[in-house]
Amino acid sequence: MNLTRRHFLQAGSTASLAAVAAGCSKVDVPEVLLPGRRPLTVPEGPYVTPAGNDIDLVSHALNRLTFGPRPWDYQSVRKLGPTEEAAFAAFLDQQLAPERIDDPDGENAVRRFEVLNEPLGELFEYQEKHLLDALVRATVLRAVFSERQLYEVMVNFWSDHFNIDPSKGDAKWLKVADDRDVVRAHALGNFPAMLRASALSPAMLWYLDGRVNKKGNDADKPNENYARELLELHTLGVHGGYTQKDVMEVARCLTGWTVKETHHSQFGLGNVEFKPFQHDRGEKVVLGHVIPRIPKQANAEKIEELGRAELDTVLGIIGLHPATAKFLATKLCQRFIADEPPAAAVSAVAEKFIASGGDIPTTLRTLFATEGFLTTRGNKLKRPFHYIVSALRATHATTDASHAIQDYLLRMGHAPFHYPTPDGYPEKAAPWLGTLLWRWNFAVALTKNELGNETKIDAEKLNASFKSEEGLMAHLLGRAPTADEVTASKESGATLALMLAAPSFQKC
Amino acid sequence: MSTQTSITGNGDQLKTLVVVFLRGGADGLNMVAPMHDDGYYRARPRIAIKAAEAARLDGNFGLNPILAGLATPYRAGELLVVHAAGSEDSTRSHFEAQDLMERAGEVAGGWLGRYLRFRGATTTGALSAIAVSRALPESLRGAPAATVMRSLDDFTLGKGGGPLQASLKKLYAAHTDGLGASARDTLNALDRIKQVRDTTYVPAHGADYERDDFAQGLKQVARLIKARVGLEAVSLDLGGWDSHLTQAAIMDPNMRRLNGGLSAFYRDLGKTMEQVTVVVMTEFGRRVGENSAFGTDHGRGSVMFVMGGGVKGGRVLSHWPGLTPEVLEGPGDLPVTINYRDVLAPILQRHHPQVDLAKVFPAYELKPEAVYG
Repeated sequence: MNLTRRHFLQAGSTASLAAVAAGCSKVDVPEVLLPGRRPLTVPEGPYVTPAGNDIDLVSHALNRLTFGPRPWDYQSVRKLGPTEEAAFAAFLDQQLAPERIDDPDGENAVRRFEVLNEPLGELFEYQEKHLLDALVRATVLRAVFSERQLYEVMVNFWSDHFNIDPSKGDAKWLKVADDRDVVRAHALGNFPAMLRASALSPAMLWYLDGRVNKKGNDADKPNENYARELLELHTLGVHGGYTQKDVMEVARCLTGWTVKETHHSQFGLGNVEFKPFQHDRGEKVVLGHVIPRIPKQANAEKIEELGRAELDTVLGIIGLHPATAKFLATKLCQRFIADEPPAAAVSAVAEKFIASGGDIPTTLRTLFATEGFLTTRGNKLKRPFHYIVSALRATHATTDASHAIQDYLLRMGHAPFHYPTPDGYPEKAAPWLGTLLWRWNFAVALTKNELGNETKIDAEKLNASFKSEEGLMAHLLGRAPTADEVTASKESGATLALMLAAPSFQKC
Repeated sequence: MSTQTSITGNGDQLKTLVVVFLRGGADGLNMVAPMHDDGYYRARPRIAIKAAEAARLDGNFGLNPILAGLATPYRAGELLVVHAAGSEDSTRSHFEAQDLMERAGEVAGGWLGRYLRFRGATTTGALSAIAVSRALPESLRGAPAATVMRSLDDFTLGKGGGPLQASLKKLYAAHTDGLGASARDTLNALDRIKQVRDTTYVPAHGADYERDDFAQGLKQVARLIKARVGLEAVSLDLGGWDSHLTQAAIMDPNMRRLNGGLSAFYRDLGKTMEQVTVVVMTEFGRRVGENSAFGTDHGRGSVMFVMGGGVKGGRVLSHWPGLTPEVLEGPGDLPVTINYRDVLAPILQRHHPQVDLAKVFPAYELKPEAVYG
């Protein structure tokens, strides 16, 4: 982005500028100033709601493949096929090909955060707080408004898998690029490609100290931080069969990769580079594979070529390793099936992961066909992010994901990009059980429209979207309400808040 | 209080850590004066604390008379003074030094947040961590639950929440799993907070909190501790210690607040103080030598206070290096002889024996100080 454009943007009301600009075709109008794309048409109510006493396959799909149903989603998905199974299959096909889903609402929701599209070097011109705010808000807004829901769910998954806390060093600026070019670029793509992008992500090189992993002289000891987490958290898993020696050898293979830093140079800031004379040229053995020493007579060019190639050799050894397949399959099944997933599902997913060369959509398709997935319903505790987003979606709230929403996420310890260690936010229920007070508190604040001016629900309209109060309850529960739930709702005098605070809405 | 549980499930065993951060670089040398060191008087001919006016702690150190209230817990063996303490940061920049001290290294998140995350407990109550400040401090980043406390009203289900609460109780009663148990704990906590809000708080033992924000913040903390809502970590800020000129005018009101707040808190909590540890720290101390404007510039070592929680107090813990020119660091600063992590580590371990200290203080070889004797 050039300077004039930024100054133009800072000049004042974008809305009034857009109005002026619209009538003048000669001006190069930045896209952000143009009116957003027309939102998708919301179907007319009253909506069909789940009628069974248990969660049916359509509700189950909306619980797990999305951040929760909006008022009309059950009806829309159910219509995709003559049976629940056919409807689910059609919905899955759609969601696994996000590039074919028209998504004006998701795009409009984040248009204002154009900083997220900035190239690497430009990011440093922004205040770190501004960047973090944009990242967090865009993440929430996409989860709430995007039609590409399974994609956003997977973004959330990989964002934890390759967790980076941007409070460390230049990751403050560079995490924006990592989110875009690693996580979002590959979330429903190919795992080895994502792994490589992550290994060469400047934010990751900062976060796990890869940038200072070097062998410039005999005294230099490689920094093992990234190598360890690469094996333990990104690929093989802690019991994946590697040794401390393997960690050290991987670290040696990755010596020489670094990032141009803020205080060193203004040119090429944040760019990843390979420094051949900081690369360890000795022989290495990684998980039994020998990587030959780089010949003494090799010139800089040759060292660079061979040194760079060692990164790909290492990733080639571990990227589709059976231990990696099992580790990832377990994590995916924990996410989509249960905290303790059935072994049959894990092995089916692991097998498909390897057979497909780490193709994520193919792997997920296998997961969603397992008996474990199909039969284990309503048992997963929503993590706080999922809870907040699902409540906003269920009530068709408007929101800009600003202060009030972030405040609740922080209180519950689940704000995006705020987890300190590389293992990412925990997936299992136990660590999140203490968050009920804030969930209930949020349910009340949302339904009373006490979350600031930009987060609002229209309770009257919402009620009118369903044939009866039981219909509204069925929408929020994913099944017909029980007699006890109907009674409790009547006694509470606050059906909507009660349902959002109820045990069933905490789960998915 | 009839019930013995708290929302973290360990009831009266629960310990609370209260961290008071003196922002701006508090002058440890004039808070706890090294009366035994001639270097101190030579370097500060105009602003040193006179030995005759100080509240004597041991043969060597004396409290600034404004902090004389702290002599009470000190003499009761419940206040430990740590001198020439601080961090390894030598930038003498407020921002850098606070950042380092709150994060505990070039790592992500804050040490208090990591402590709560890795303290060895499986679940964390909604009110386990509270910041009494404008925004969540860096130290609490990454905590499993952390709330900036504005008002006790935040901790309710709003006006008319009674019927909603009753209905929730019914719905969750059917759940015998972890979620149901957590709901019952939460409903208990809501009842306790309601009691706290509905009753006028009378501090115990005639404790008298001043009107300033710091004392009032401590008063709310005392209420919540006594109500056993599951408070495990509290962060309070007391800012404005940057005494470059006319040091007394800047420091004295702050020391009054610190002295008044901590004294009232100590008195109010009484025996409960055994379950509560208060740690007072600052990002760096001040230059040993006074400047031309009766002030002091950014330095290195300062003091820490540790109060309550079974600490072996009545001592000044120090590896006093002396204030001779060859000892002073850089432009003339008291060296840091005790790293703040080595004071915090044993405290965290006492509060949670299972804590993973390597994760709380990564890339640092702990040499824990004998805080408990």
